[in-house]
Amino acid sequence: MAATPSKSRVKPSPPAPQTPASGPRRSLRLSSTPRTPVHCYDPSSPRKSAKKSKRSLLKTPAFCPITPNLPESKRRRRSGPDSNPSKKKIYFKRVVFDGVGFEIGDAVYVKRREDAESDGDEPEVEECRICFEVGNFVMVECDDCLGGFHLGCLKPPLKKVPEGDWICGYCEARKMGKVVELPKPPAWKKIKRTAKEKLLSSDLWAARIESLWKEPDGTYWLRCRWYMIPEETAAGRQPHNLRRELYRTNDTANIEMDSVIRHCFVMNPKDFFEANDEGDDVFYCEYEYDVHWHSFKRISEIDNSEECDEGAGNDDEWKLSKDSDSQTDEDSEKEEDTAQGTSYRKYQTHQLAANSRRGRIFGLQRIGAKRIPEHVRCHKQTELERAKAMLVLAILPKSLPCRTKEMEEITAFVKGAICDDQCLGRCLYIHGVPGTGKTMSVLSVMRNLSSEVEAGTMRPYSFIEINGLKLASPENIYKVVYEALSGHRVGWKKALHHLNERFSEGIKVGRQENQPCVLLLDELDLLLTRNQSVLYNVFDWPTRPHSKLVIIGIANTMNLPEKLLPRISSRMGIQRLCFGPYNYQQLQEIILTRLEGIDAFEEQAIEFASRKVAAMSGDARRALEICRRAADLADYRQKQLSSCTKVTSPDSSAGKCLVGMADVESAIQEVFQAPHIRIMKTSSRLSKILLVSMVHELYKSGLSEITFDKLAATVSSLCSSNREDIPGWDTLLKVGCKLGECRIILCEEGTKHKLQKLQLNFPSDDVAFALKDCPEVPWLSKYL
Amino acid sequence: MASSSSFKLAPASPSAQKSSMAEKALALLRSRLRDQSFAHGVFKSSPDSNYSKLKFLISTSIAEGCNNSVLLLGPRGSGKISVVELVLADLSADYPDMLSVIRLNGLLHSDDNCGLKEIARQLCLEHQLLFSKMASSDDNSQFMLDMLRECGLAHKTLIFLLDEFDLFAQGKQRLLYSLLDAMQTLSSQAVAIGVSCRLDADQLLEKRVRSRFSHRKLLFIPLTTEDLKVFLNHALYLPEDSSFSSNYVKEFNSRVKIILGDKKFNEALNSLSNVDGTIGNILRFLYQAVSYMDLASGLLTLQNFKSAILCFQKQPKLDIVKDASVLELYILVCMNRLETKEQNTYNFNSILKEYKAIHEAYKTSDHYGRTVCSRAYEHLLEQELICFVDGKGRHLSNECRPVKLLVSFSELCHGLKSNTSCPAILQKLLDHESFK
Repeated sequence: MAATPSKSRVKPSPPAPQTPASGPRRSLRLSSTPRTPVHCYDPSSPRKSAKKSKRSLLKTPAFCPITPNLPESKRRRRSGPDSNPSKKKIYFKRVVFDGVGFEIGDAVYVKRREDAESDGDEPEVEECRICFEVGNFVMVECDDCLGGFHLGCLKPPLKKVPEGDWICGYCEARKMGKVVELPKPPAWKKIKRTAKEKLLSSDLWAARIESLWKEPDGTYWLRCRWYMIPEETAAGRQPHNLRRELYRTNDTANIEMDSVIRHCFVMNPKDFFEANDEGDDVFYCEYEYDVHWHSFKRISEIDNSEECDEGAGNDDEWKLSKDSDSQTDEDSEKEEDTAQGTSYRKYQTHQLAANSRRGRIFGLQRIGAKRIPEHVRCHKQTELERAKAMLVLAILPKSLPCRTKEMEEITAFVKGAICDDQCLGRCLYIHGVPGTGKTMSVLSVMRNLSSEVEAGTMRPYSFIEINGLKLASPENIYKVVYEALSGHRVGWKKALHHLNERFSEGIKVGRQENQPCVLLLDELDLLLTRNQSVLYNVFDWPTRPHSKLVIIGIANTMNLPEKLLPRISSRMGIQRLCFGPYNYQQLQEIILTRLEGIDAFEEQAIEFASRKVAAMSGDARRALEICRRAADLADYRQKQLSSCTKVTSPDSSAGKCLVGMADVESAIQEVFQAPHIRIMKTSSRLSKILLVSMVHELYKSGLSEITFDKLAATVSSLCSSNREDIPGWDTLLKVGCKLGECRIILCEEGTKHKLQKLQLNFPSDDVAFALKDCPEVPWLSKYL
Repeated sequence: MASSSSFKLAPASPSAQKSSMAEKALALLRSRLRDQSFAHGVFKSSPDSNYSKLKFLISTSIAEGCNNSVLLLGPRGSGKISVVELVLADLSADYPDMLSVIRLNGLLHSDDNCGLKEIARQLCLEHQLLFSKMASSDDNSQFMLDMLRECGLAHKTLIFLLDEFDLFAQGKQRLLYSLLDAMQTLSSQAVAIGVSCRLDADQLLEKRVRSRFSHRKLLFIPLTTEDLKVFLNHALYLPEDSSFSSNYVKEFNSRVKIILGDKKFNEALNSLSNVDGTIGNILRFLYQAVSYMDLASGLLTLQNFKSAILCFQKQPKLDIVKDASVLELYILVCMNRLETKEQNTYNFNSILKEYKAIHEAYKTSDHYGRTVCSRAYEHLLEQELICFVDGKGRHLSNECRPVKLLVSFSELCHGLKSNTSCPAILQKLLDHESFK
């Protein structure tokens, strides 16, 4: 069995001069349709109509087998002459090869064995496992063996494709422990395997195209990142693996275009489950597999989207830089390495400290899990758990209710500032109490705008987000801004100098042309220094002639500009936007939009929670947390219940459990009520006596504090008149200090002994409430 | 001693066997009482215990891959940290290789930069990465964010255990903010556990930090009497199926049963929990009592517990007065007289004057020179029965600095009564004052 196809293995093939574009290499995104009419067979059209797991479609009988390597004559060539016939590698974003466009990021089948062609023509459409005909009937796929069956061939025949998982009779029987005999194909018919089957039995590779280029000799090469089937990993196939699951590896190789067979589709979980009729070549990929460390890691969606953004956003530039790179060094290896950052090879040569370079951590590959934990994959969420997952603060809801007006205003502000030809700087000050969606609104506006930039309806701009609380010192803001603009790290003084130059004289910073820049300053009040120079400098930039700078400042206090020096407030305080606290209807709407389609909460419970929070603070985070906590409590209760009753009735857990008023009530208690009353109620006998005598004495004297000397005397007189043992003074001192530690009382340190001053930290009514009907020491109520 | 003799003698000797058995029993009891996790292990199965609540909370955030933050509040000695450790140990057995714990202590890491650095250091240590001391705090906080993401992607849960949580809430709270803010992202998977004995710890948080905190609180309260009984049964009985001979176990357990049922024992326990009923205090008491066990008999007696409770009821100040020398008593009484004369500031010289006045008025036999008196005075200062009034006269010599009496009047009375060498005149002087 051959290992990864390497350069040496691939047959040199005659050049296929299909350059992606003619003339000056322009962005291919704009001209992505193949220039030449596609003569050869395009595999995408029948694939669309091929069958797909459990969901069905009518099969088109028309299919023509595709041979991976078409005869030379059939190979279409591009009409456009290569504009750069020099001896350099030329990188492309998209290559049309055999009439099929291959783009970076596509997944493809790759030949694994030299004799892969011996399998001959590969069936595009699978045959039924029972009648071994293709036929124009609906087929259903078994979720276990992935075999296809005509609905009519099944016994009993199915009328339509069943919802949910479906397992064929053979697999079911096998699971029961029976020996089953699959129907044998007629002798004359050779079983043909589809590409998918070959892949899953490791006769083919699947790979993701990372980069495409043309060698000086005219052959097309691509750098690919392999996909792996679960059987090939160190952990083997795990019980939770799906049949169509693949792992993305961190192993790459350069292969020639010839060994590529055709497209397949590797999807992330969301797309996979939404995919309906994508055909047979659909695979599921959720994890990345580290071939060196044999560990798994989820593929983060943010990662992918960033990559896409980068690729799509500055397409031209990307190509330019690639070209210039390839002119300077012929070898792409180096560049790839720097681009990847976490390359294994790099790591081996010189060990770098993990925390010393931001964004690039060396040795991260060790973190992956050795096995994918089963509970993550196989767990069926209950309604409550789904509700909890939706209430997590981190989840960005699809729609942001109740803030449309503010968001429109922000959008108008940013658009107005950027689209202005002069692009004069402007400032916007946003204020509001925590948890009212200030940052979230700005970020979602920026997301919307960046999609507009992509669509080409807006000028590109750069966006810098800075949080005042995350800066080590206010001066560091210069450093961060400069780094974001130029990519270089310098000290803050130098950064300030450069930034001043850039904004006032328009001197280019970094490689990029000076774009308009949107600077989001979160927690603005943290940038305050004694002489307020940082804020002054920052807010002075927009007034400079070449700044093209738009500043959005966010803080909690509404009168921050007034508190600043007049020369700063005149610069920043002109345009303001207030985020008021949410009222209860808004909070209710926010919670309800998150919980849409999940039946876990009682209607009044949500209303209760939102009313309570609206009355206290109007903090949406708080409201969500209370609901989540309530769901938690309900979940806990239910799980305890089900574990108790498991013996008697195993299906009791199926009973639905709604989050009710009681749960919300106790969650609110937990959040809003200080726990001191409970601590007082459960504290030791002596501390109760001490508290009561303190209240008594303070009431008598009318003062707010008492010395220990006096308190101890009161305690002993109370004790003696109620036939208690009179405690020693040192014991009393200890008890007092313990209460002081819990901050039920405030007291000076114990070394002051009889001179120690004590104070109640809570109103004396609380003490009275807590200790009034104390069953242990009933005489206490006399003194309250 | 006992063990060495058992080696010398033939192993058949019953007394030697018994004492070695007793040693083993003692070791077992001590190991039980030494760590609080054993005590909390007793209440594992009850659904209302903090153990099961905390375990549920952490395990759901592992299983559901979400972020959580929780605050454990309760007086010192109520077993907050030991419950956390118990939960973490059990969970890391349940989910091997999926937990990594970062431990921070407010006493050490309340400084933001230092805290971030410590987080980075422990993260590096945990994942065998190279750590650089030189990294700036920006780098470290970025590293923390990256690690949170990467660990979340690898289904690993990071647990931040912040001991003395209230101390992190000083200053700008940058550490807490960046930690809690980092936990607002989807890809991270972390639990922040704050442990504090201050009940108002969450009120100390700044409002934007508080808004990000999820406000779960677990309250640790002292054991109830029933729980205490259950625990005592659990802790003091020897196991029947063990290497101990069954006769010994039977005898030992029957003794323990008698002790536990004894009225005196319960009184002692009550007087202990009247002062401080936290589990830490009770464990300390039991440990002391068990340590008094007579190895020859190998059995616990009620006397063991009685002598242990005496240790816990010591009044150190009274004891010092009890053992003080005659001259020291004179000085204390003089100071007390000055205070009752409402002379608020006084120093060594005025005390000496008072002392001489007493001497002349009552013609006592105890007359000492100034240097001797000054030595006694310094001794009292060292024992902190008296102290200088702070802030005043720091540049003056000891003799001129104003002082204050730290012993209260009733303590002084008690002390004088129990002091055997106390002259009668001092008692009289004090009594006289109290009548006035």
